[in-house]
Amino acid sequence: MGADTIDKVLMTGNEAMAEAGIRAGCRAYFGYPITPQNELLEYMSAHMPQAGGAFIQAESEIAAINMCYGASAAGVRTMTSSSSPGISLKMEGISYIAGADLPCVIVNVVRGGPGLGNIAPAQGDYFQATKGGGHGDYRMIVLGPSTIPEATEHVMLAFELADKYRGPVMILADGMLGQMMEPVVLPKPVDPATLPAKPWALTGAKGREPNIVTSFYLDPEELNMMDVKRESRYRQIEEQEVRYEEHETADATVVIAAYGSVARIARTVVKMARGEGIKLGLLRPISLWPFPYAPLRAIADRVDAILTVEMNAGQMVEDVRLAVAERAQTPFYGVLGGLVPTPKDILREVKRYAG
Amino acid sequence: MPRGAIIVDKERCKGCGLCLVFCPQDVLAFSGEHNRSSYDVVCMKHPEQCTGCGFCAQTCPDIAIEVYRQKKPKDGS
Repeated sequence: MGADTIDKVLMTGNEAMAEAGIRAGCRAYFGYPITPQNELLEYMSAHMPQAGGAFIQAESEIAAINMCYGASAAGVRTMTSSSSPGISLKMEGISYIAGADLPCVIVNVVRGGPGLGNIAPAQGDYFQATKGGGHGDYRMIVLGPSTIPEATEHVMLAFELADKYRGPVMILADGMLGQMMEPVVLPKPVDPATLPAKPWALTGAKGREPNIVTSFYLDPEELNMMDVKRESRYRQIEEQEVRYEEHETADATVVIAAYGSVARIARTVVKMARGEGIKLGLLRPISLWPFPYAPLRAIADRVDAILTVEMNAGQMVEDVRLAVAERAQTPFYGVLGGLVPTPKDILREVKRYAG
Repeated sequence: MPRGAIIVDKERCKGCGLCLVFCPQDVLAFSGEHNRSSYDVVCMKHPEQCTGCGFCAQTCPDIAIEVYRQKKPKDGS
């Protein structure tokens, strides 16, 4: 029995995100193998043809992202996935896709870095994902799932947001979420034929004016106009698409700020700390761009410290400090090299700032 | 004579190390041998200590471990 006939299944994060992509109406997937993301590509190779879509294992990551550019210009829901070094290669294409106002979903199953790094889970691509990565003035919605059911929901959401705001959307997972198995209730499939029309798409110009999809505007006035228009969409995203979760923050004196895999470890830490009488809470940014500055600022006014925990040398902590300013202490705890912090490691850090 | 032995499906192993944590006899270790996905796969470092308890196979999230137990000798044999 295939995953298309049953709704609750035990799947790896990679497989679940692939199945969610197909169910979201994605009918064009292009990728290139890289660990720890391989199962996503493999799942697509087996199941995309059955859904009547296109699967191509491209000659490189650069080719794959540019195939997404083409498919998206033709109006098809399109997706690619890779892991850190492969995502670096895709950055040029992502900038072009943003510049041409095209929807596209990109999954980054982050591994240790920089360079080839290793294949263990890490969060070192936060800056690349949320602050640019590619060239030019563009922004990309970035979702940071913490569980496999959530990663599945995020894929569905990512396609909606990409179409709504006409731009690339990234799911920032990691090697742990990609490889781990959890029970997932799969979402109901979307029929691509029922999706809102894309009047800008290149569908053949017979009987109408030709559409043009480009990121190239030689005239500065014209490029300025396009950029300003896109910027206003980004402001709209910042107002409407901030997502976060608060856990036990109401009476907290210390709050952990963590996303993705680290946030699920932090939930255990909250339970352990509460058992010892430490009033610990958790704020988990779900959208990493737009970042939940306002909720963090609100918490900062009533706690002693907000401890940011990441599997990197300190990236999201810069956004936390921007939000908190001087309202509370903003210490950082990070592990590097693809290591994963244990609840005990984090609790030890929490105790330095509690009471 | 060891009481048990395991066989690791190297292509299924993702080197998470859970089996190492749960082995009560300290039998297992990373082998330094990498599979096609580049994961460092687990091996029996101290096979003589294996009791065939099967904890490793039960904790393995990827069903990569097969456990064999030595048959108990019959009475009088």
